[in-house]
Amino acid sequence: MTQKEILDELKALIVERLKFDPRRAADMTAETTLPKGLEGSLGLDSLDFIELSVAMEERFGIVIDETESLTDEFLSLDSLSRFVLSKVK
Amino acid sequence: MIRSRRVAITGIGSVNAAEQGGSSAVAAALARPPHAIAAVKIMAVEGSGSGLAAQIDDARLMALLDAADVRRLSRICRMALAACRLASAEAGLEGGSRVGLAMGSEYGDFRSGAEFFNGFLRRGPSGLSPMIFPNTVMNSMAAVVAIAVGAKAPSITLNQATVAGDLAVARGAALIADGRADAVLAGGVDEIFLDVYRGLAALGALSPMRGQGPEGCRPYARDHNGPVVGEGATFVVLESLGRARARGAAIIAEVRGTAWASLPVAPHAAPVRRRDASGTVRRALEQAELEPAALGRCYGSGNGDPSLDDWETALLAADGIRDPISLAPRFGQHGGLGALRVAAGALAARDGAGPALVHGIARGGCRAALVIGEAA
Amino acid sequence: MTRVVVSGLGVVSPYGVGAKTFWAGLARGDCAIRPLTVIDTEGFRSRIAAEVPAEVLPTLGVSRRRSRADRIALAAAREALAEADLTPADRANTGLFVGAVGGGMLEGEEWYCEEARTGRPLPRLRALRSILPVSHAESLAWRLRLGGPRETVVMACASGAASIALGADMIRSGGTPLVLAGGVDAITRICFMGFNALKLLDPEPCRPFDRGRRGMSIGEAAAFLVLEDAEHCRARGARVLGELLGAGMTTDAHHVTAPHPEGEGMIRAMAEALAAGDRDPADIGYVNAHGTGTPQNDRVEALALARVFGEGRVLVSSTKSLVGHTMAAAGSVEAAATLLTLQHGLVPPTANLREPDPDVPFDCVPGCARPVELRTALSNSFGFGGQNVSLVFGR
Repeated sequence: MTQKEILDELKALIVERLKFDPRRAADMTAETTLPKGLEGSLGLDSLDFIELSVAMEERFGIVIDETESLTDEFLSLDSLSRFVLSKVK
Repeated sequence: MIRSRRVAITGIGSVNAAEQGGSSAVAAALARPPHAIAAVKIMAVEGSGSGLAAQIDDARLMALLDAADVRRLSRICRMALAACRLASAEAGLEGGSRVGLAMGSEYGDFRSGAEFFNGFLRRGPSGLSPMIFPNTVMNSMAAVVAIAVGAKAPSITLNQATVAGDLAVARGAALIADGRADAVLAGGVDEIFLDVYRGLAALGALSPMRGQGPEGCRPYARDHNGPVVGEGATFVVLESLGRARARGAAIIAEVRGTAWASLPVAPHAAPVRRRDASGTVRRALEQAELEPAALGRCYGSGNGDPSLDDWETALLAADGIRDPISLAPRFGQHGGLGALRVAAGALAARDGAGPALVHGIARGGCRAALVIGEAA
Repeated sequence: MTRVVVSGLGVVSPYGVGAKTFWAGLARGDCAIRPLTVIDTEGFRSRIAAEVPAEVLPTLGVSRRRSRADRIALAAAREALAEADLTPADRANTGLFVGAVGGGMLEGEEWYCEEARTGRPLPRLRALRSILPVSHAESLAWRLRLGGPRETVVMACASGAASIALGADMIRSGGTPLVLAGGVDAITRICFMGFNALKLLDPEPCRPFDRGRRGMSIGEAAAFLVLEDAEHCRARGARVLGELLGAGMTTDAHHVTAPHPEGEGMIRAMAEALAAGDRDPADIGYVNAHGTGTPQNDRVEALALARVFGEGRVLVSSTKSLVGHTMAAAGSVEAAATLLTLQHGLVPPTANLREPDPDVPFDCVPGCARPVELRTALSNSFGFGGQNVSLVFGR
């Protein structure tokens, strides 16, 4: 899988699992930030991140260690797709 | 029972099949003839024997909410939130450590429970959605509203059939009288969910019970043959009368007396018995310092379920009260209906119709009585 | 002012039937968390829980047709009422406050699975009706002839404690002289799967306040207290097991799953309970913690305890380390544990506590029960979604 393909899958997951409006997916780019509290971000909180992690594990066949601090990885769609890419290889 | 603090009603908010809004919307729904019960939409109920319900239009509900704000909220949470916001706005209520919640429901967020469990049935452990799980506990609506409104005093969720709303308002008034809160958003909510609708129909719990007679909601009528389900959320803002006056709030009415008790019958039974040693209505009237003859009207919980209607009629007659009014034909049976009864009583009292008795009895014997009157 | 005492206690726990059995297990520090048998756990990360022993269910004297939760609730309620020794007239005035969440969902799930498997709707009347939390109160009021005000309180993990607080309020305001208050929850697939999905369960028995703690363990139980107006109790010459001095109830209004990071609601609940009981923090010798064993709860609770009592100023232990997190029953199970602790002058230990977390500045009584002369103790229940109840008990 390429990073672009992963990015598109992530956008689909965000719509499907986090119940975002599908029209917003079109506006999401690699630069889109995720965590609540960042200006212009998708405003995701801890519950969203757990849901997204579970969805990512299932969609990409990876394992995410929840004891790890993944703040950096979950910062933006770019960092997140890189993270998935590293796990999928 | 001595009440240490008097309790006022300073706001009303409701989303239901007939109307949505504050006091004026509820008053409008009460003024119109019943029209909200219709053929069930959006669900396939063929073969179920019942096909009517009072359903909310989702587009109208979403018009009250910010879609991005509520993206994660289940439908029943959205209904509760919309109604609570309407009531708070009308009352000019702000959150804080002295603002509480009392929420009644018959079925809670059954839909989310089914969705969560179905995820597992279809895809095993990896099909489970962590995000939906919190909604599988019946207090999720209260948790969501508390966050939205900033209500940090106790938030109590009560599960009860038929009189969930009545009980929640009584419990909310008690929280204020007992000093646990100065204001409480009190009311009830239920939504229609296909599995539950079908289950109730299969149990023979909906009109037409025993398949006899035309399907419809005809409480207390000779040809009553079962309830018709509805959905909605209705909340009143209860507030310490002193505090309401001090802040110059518009007072709609006062909760003058409350009482609730258990009658000794088997679960789900509704035997017609006049005798009730609990003295529920008497105690509520005593608190209100009123005689039965002083009541302007009585709102009853009778919803067309013949045994329940007849039981209630007999109990009320024993207390010297006749001709209860049912709101079920307008809104369908659901957890918010008891709060609609309280709202109706409050509006009637405000408009000079005299104090109202809001009465309810459920299968299994949970009985509640509230006296709503003008704030003297 | 009206004083509220406890005149009866009934418990069905993962140790077995009865308050005596319950206390014996706590005093020994037995951890009852084991591989689950009542549901299939294949494919889940955590596969353990504290179950009511299988051999106990048939001995409860309650029909097998009732839901599991209903059966243990009835047995515990019966024990409490028997101890309180009430007349039928008393019972007709006894209120009923039941904390419940899962209801008969275990049986409902089986019915639902069968429907999904066969593809045919299977309206099991009994299952549908007994699924809801309110079903327990309906059974109990009928079987036990309780005629006072009835409420089924759903407040997540604080349900059992909230029932006790509201029941006591009812007595103090003069609504009734007697209340049967408590909570019940049986194992359900939804609860087990949900906490697994949220990654909040430890695959090993939970280790509250331990540095290496990784999550909760689920349990099931029922516990009921007979709360009574002290004067009423004295007048009929009944035995007093302890006193409920005060109760605090608050809401974080912060997040649906995470507690307020500084324990703001927890602090308020404890302060309110102490104030209501006219006690200072210094009067409290022991806190029965909510203590679930999740990294987050224990950290925030410890912070809140330090703010209210001062670091190291009370003994703290977690009953959940012994009998798991019994959900809606937890608040009442732990109220029972607190009462028994005061009675016996023995603080039950926190099990599985091998390396205390240095960020928890309290003696959490690791491993072994500790004899301590106590006059008052406090019990915490901090529910999912930020619903907090604290109860202060006296001997």
